[in-house]
Amino acid sequence: EKKMTNDHLKKLLVYCMLCCTQKIIVQGAQTFQTKVALLRHVEPNNPKCFAEGIRDLTCFWEEDEERAGSAKQYSFIYTYQNENSSECNVTALPAAGGRILYFCRLSQTQLFVPLDIQVFRDGLLIHNRRLHIELFFLLDPPVNLTVKRTEKQGQLKASWMPPPLKYLDDSMMYEVSYVIAGTQMGQVEEVRASSEVILLGLQPGAKYSVRIRVKLDGVSYNGYWSAWTDPVLMATLPGDLDPLIVSLTLIISLILTLLSLTVLLSHRRFLLNKIWPVIPNPESKFQGLFTVYGGDFEEWLGYSAGGLCLRPAYFYSEELPAPLEVLSEVSLDLPSSPLPPKAKQAPGEDEKLKRIDSLMERWRETPHEHWLMDQLRVLHQLPGPQCSQLESQDAYVTLNAQNHSGEEPLDDILEETLPLQALFASGRTCSESHSDLGSLQQSSGSGRLSTQSSFEYPNHTWPPKGPGYTYMAVADSGVSMDYSPMSSSRIDYMGKGVIYTNEYRNEIPAHRQPIPFAF
Amino acid sequence: MGNRRAKGRNGEDPVRDYVDSDMEAPRLLTLLLMLLEWTRPGRASPLRPICDLRVLKHFIEEAKDAEAAMLTCKEGCGLPEPVTVPQTKVDFNVWERKNAPEQAKEVQSGLWLLSQAVGSLRGSVTDATLHSHIDNSLRNIFSIGQVLRSLNFQVFLRAPCQEYPPPGVGVSGAETWRVSSASELLQVHVNFLRGKVHLLLSNAAVCQQGGS
Repeated sequence: EKKMTNDHLKKLLVYCMLCCTQKIIVQGAQTFQTKVALLRHVEPNNPKCFAEGIRDLTCFWEEDEERAGSAKQYSFIYTYQNENSSECNVTALPAAGGRILYFCRLSQTQLFVPLDIQVFRDGLLIHNRRLHIELFFLLDPPVNLTVKRTEKQGQLKASWMPPPLKYLDDSMMYEVSYVIAGTQMGQVEEVRASSEVILLGLQPGAKYSVRIRVKLDGVSYNGYWSAWTDPVLMATLPGDLDPLIVSLTLIISLILTLLSLTVLLSHRRFLLNKIWPVIPNPESKFQGLFTVYGGDFEEWLGYSAGGLCLRPAYFYSEELPAPLEVLSEVSLDLPSSPLPPKAKQAPGEDEKLKRIDSLMERWRETPHEHWLMDQLRVLHQLPGPQCSQLESQDAYVTLNAQNHSGEEPLDDILEETLPLQALFASGRTCSESHSDLGSLQQSSGSGRLSTQSSFEYPNHTWPPKGPGYTYMAVADSGVSMDYSPMSSSRIDYMGKGVIYTNEYRNEIPAHRQPIPFAF
Repeated sequence: MGNRRAKGRNGEDPVRDYVDSDMEAPRLLTLLLMLLEWTRPGRASPLRPICDLRVLKHFIEEAKDAEAAMLTCKEGCGLPEPVTVPQTKVDFNVWERKNAPEQAKEVQSGLWLLSQAVGSLRGSVTDATLHSHIDNSLRNIFSIGQVLRSLNFQVFLRAPCQEYPPPGVGVSGAETWRVSSASELLQVHVNFLRGKVHLLLSNAAVCQQGGS
């Protein structure tokens, strides 16, 4: 059993050695390939030689596959000064790009003496070179690179193990590269004859990537820069707030705040209008509605609050214009023009028409400026219908645009010269939807007719009552009255003269007393 | 560095009694011995070890400058006759088999040979710039001797152009060879300093013990 155990142990040991050897060989091969690739770019001469230690030398060259031959075709002859020549066995390896790599490795060398190298291919010299081996070192990268934080801000301490080469410790120089991780912002620092360095001037609270490479210093020994080590990441200590920076920041913030406030205050109205626009207040259009009547619209309109037949004129602002006949008191020559066309009267209104006729007769008799007020008084005295004052107040305004004789040109007739007569028709029934005249304000000589209602003549087929009547459609929106000339009873009349129209604007009297009209 | 007496044999004052003539001879003899003791070339105080290799590196750089200057010289810069120079090659397998004294002896012999060879070149060079380089090289060789002495290596170089070789200097071809051109001489000078001298100084036992 012991013998079997020993055998097993031996096999295991051999297996481990083989594995380690294989691992070393693989690593060595990778290292060799790395160095070959590195030298390929930096060394222009052939053969390219490098020493990894104080006792070896490796030289290689490459040939195109077309011209390349077997390794036996090549001879590598080397001669030290004042000594006989020696030959090195050449080995071939496949290289990148379809090329062949030939190399020779010397395991025992002499330094500080010139060495002549000659390469022959089939007896022909293809490469010739003289060099000092101690000037062609290509070392392995340093190992165990460690980066630590120091107690001070903006500092890192890097330490490493130099290549384990005797006699070369004091001749090595290192290049430490430190960049902020993820960026290209960094520096390179050179270190001589030391295996640690403190990196200064780093950003606080930043993560740095540190790597290092080695080379001989060039005094007694020289060579190429080694490959970089694998980078090591380390963050610096976070920085404390610099009192100067804090104070400057506060001052700048204060200045910016004051400037902003100044700008805001200088444009506060504009900004308020933009951010919080003022709600339009129609109070200006309803003079006295809020100041006098406290917002009571009915009061302002002059209607009682309890009226069932409350039909303010503004509710009918969208009513269609209706033909309207306005009779004017021009002169005594008023023909016995027919009465204004009869509205479509409901039964029971003949009495009212009779009143109108009586009024007409009076107008003919008393043409004066204040005839309107007289008529108003008359009408006020007349019994009206049972409806409220609001609904019983209908008004017809007719403009007589000519002398009715048919001879005078119409263009001479200006509205201003025509006294305006208002005929107050009989009141309608409450159920009829028509416009009512709330009140009639006399405006002496001004020609203005103040109404609060829209005129509506249900009967649009206004029969012509004689020559010279001009009919105007009045649309009262409750704010203003629009008069538009309608077709006259006589077409030729329309073509002869000019019809003068004025826009009548309703004016709400400040203190208005509803004047009841009744027929 | 002049000789100086570190310590007298005795501290007694000279005899002042002239009356006794029988004691006059011994007194005179004593005086003579004291005087000789004072004038005897005694050992100097031990030097502080010079372990900083920047000194040697400076000498190496100046030797390189001299070699580079010699390469540009075309006339008036030849050796009058071939000179013997030390071997500069270093086979570490062989070097490490030698002990420190043997290494020091080899370095000292080589320095002496170089001093002789560069000295003979100094007499044949007419170019002023080269002349200064050669003088500098000679001074550096002897300065290296001082460094070796500070490291407790036995040094036999006392004065420039010493005629007799230091003891133990081999004249066999294994350790020396002959050059006939000035550029070869100065190249040997550089290689010797970079190689054997540097190896000896960088591995001095005194410096390895922590002294600087």
